[in-house]
Amino acid sequence: MIFKIASVDSLTINFGNEISKEIASDVQKAYLSLKNLNIEGIIEIIPSYTTIYISYDVFKYDYSSLCKLLDNSIDLNYEDNSIKNIINIDVYYGKEVGLDLEDMSVKKNLSIKEIIQIHTQKEYDVYAIGFAPGFGFLASVDERIALPRLSSPRKSVPKGSVAIADKQTAVYPQSSPGGWNIIGRTAMELFDKSLKELSPLSVGSKVKFNSISKEEFLAQGGIL
Amino acid sequence: MSLEVINNPILATIQDKGRFFYSHIGVSNSGVLDEYAYCYANKILSNNYGTNIIEISFSNVIFKANASTIIVVTGAKCEFFINDILCNSWQSYTIKNGDIIKIGKILEGTRVYLAVKDGFNIKKVFGSNSTTIKEGLGGINADKLKKGDILEFNSAFEQITQRLNDEYIPKYTDELVLRVILCAEVDTFEQEEKDKFFQNDYTVTNDFNRMACKLNGEKISSNINGIISEGIGFGTIQIPSDGQPIILLKERQTIGGYPRIGAVFSLDCFKLAQAKANSKIKFEEISINEAQEKLKDFYKYFIE
Repeated sequence: MIFKIASVDSLTINFGNEISKEIASDVQKAYLSLKNLNIEGIIEIIPSYTTIYISYDVFKYDYSSLCKLLDNSIDLNYEDNSIKNIINIDVYYGKEVGLDLEDMSVKKNLSIKEIIQIHTQKEYDVYAIGFAPGFGFLASVDERIALPRLSSPRKSVPKGSVAIADKQTAVYPQSSPGGWNIIGRTAMELFDKSLKELSPLSVGSKVKFNSISKEEFLAQGGIL
Repeated sequence: MSLEVINNPILATIQDKGRFFYSHIGVSNSGVLDEYAYCYANKILSNNYGTNIIEISFSNVIFKANASTIIVVTGAKCEFFINDILCNSWQSYTIKNGDIIKIGKILEGTRVYLAVKDGFNIKKVFGSNSTTIKEGLGGINADKLKKGDILEFNSAFEQITQRLNDEYIPKYTDELVLRVILCAEVDTFEQEEKDKFFQNDYTVTNDFNRMACKLNGEKISSNINGIISEGIGFGTIQIPSDGQPIILLKERQTIGGYPRIGAVFSLDCFKLAQAKANSKIKFEEISINEAQEKLKDFYKYFIE
């Protein structure tokens, strides 16, 4: 664990310098350990690919005292023994909602059916949440359907759009500008004010996409 | 008992100290841009720390009171009228049913704050009244204030006027010195680049909103193009590939991927919040220890 100042009242703990399952697992263990410690005076804890960001109350700790405390108390072997849930996201992969499906099909030399099959066959890990509330960065998609961001982002990507950027995939929880390649749409709420945790996603959870028909999508409240 | 919004302000929102404990879900901290003006507004009214307030970013906002309460206006120097009578900022006034409160032209600084005794009665959303329009959270219907909005309060009355001593009333100038805590990727900037950063003047551009302030000046470059996205703090100075610094403010996203040379000290971010486009910025280094002591000195006066 390497500690760095992030601002007058925040710091980051660094676990490595590349996106990998191993580093993500270290971040995850430290994150769960940190949450379990429930240290008074820690305000925000943001886990990401290789780091954990912490903001804190300067009346409780100065930078070096908090680093020392964290260094001594975070358990890097912390195991969460509770049952892991896989978040199932139903997706309608139709051309009218998968705005970049045809383009991807041409660029990747795959049929749309193959793209859907490749996207739905894996379980993805949530590496980070950010950009917008409930926007989870999921990885890694199969190389065969990995595609760089659009050269010019869309002004508005519809809510629920399921998209790919390089080896990452994500769902847009609300409509927003965005440059990812859109391949489908879900009716599932990824940023839901009625949920205590605001989002079903959290860093370290797993996500599986399932292909559904237009009728099922509409029946779930999906909007074309 | 309420204030009614009489016109359609360009940008006036309900804010408080911010929305905390949800950053891991990607929810922005949001909150008032200028905590100096915010804290003193609440202090003048003897409000609890953290009470909500109206943040006004452009001229011409009109309210009508339909009950008595005590109000104060702080922040940018502006034409502040109660029933067409010019009033002082940083001073409490008792207003009564039928009074018209108008924030006219903004003369110095950019953001005006209007507080009422004990704040407005608005249901908090995830612990805060701060409005983050892009996230659909907080405020009144998660939006900026609009004509016809009703801001409820508990009626109050006082006979003693509270006025902030002149020496505490900030002067908003177009030349600012921002103190910077070196941090994060500072080691990816060669000494020559750091010198450029600290020795040159930068200018505030029009690219300035509740999320961030983009500067223009001598280009500086990092040895790396970007970092793997991670959590970012208030005041973070990102250096994107065009070499022009971006200072992240209250409504910043929760994670970011540009190299960071440092972070502007919070108390100086409050000054930056009042800067107009084309203002001159100079950076000066401050140590983390000194900054944390100064931060405590500031807040201890407001937090009981």
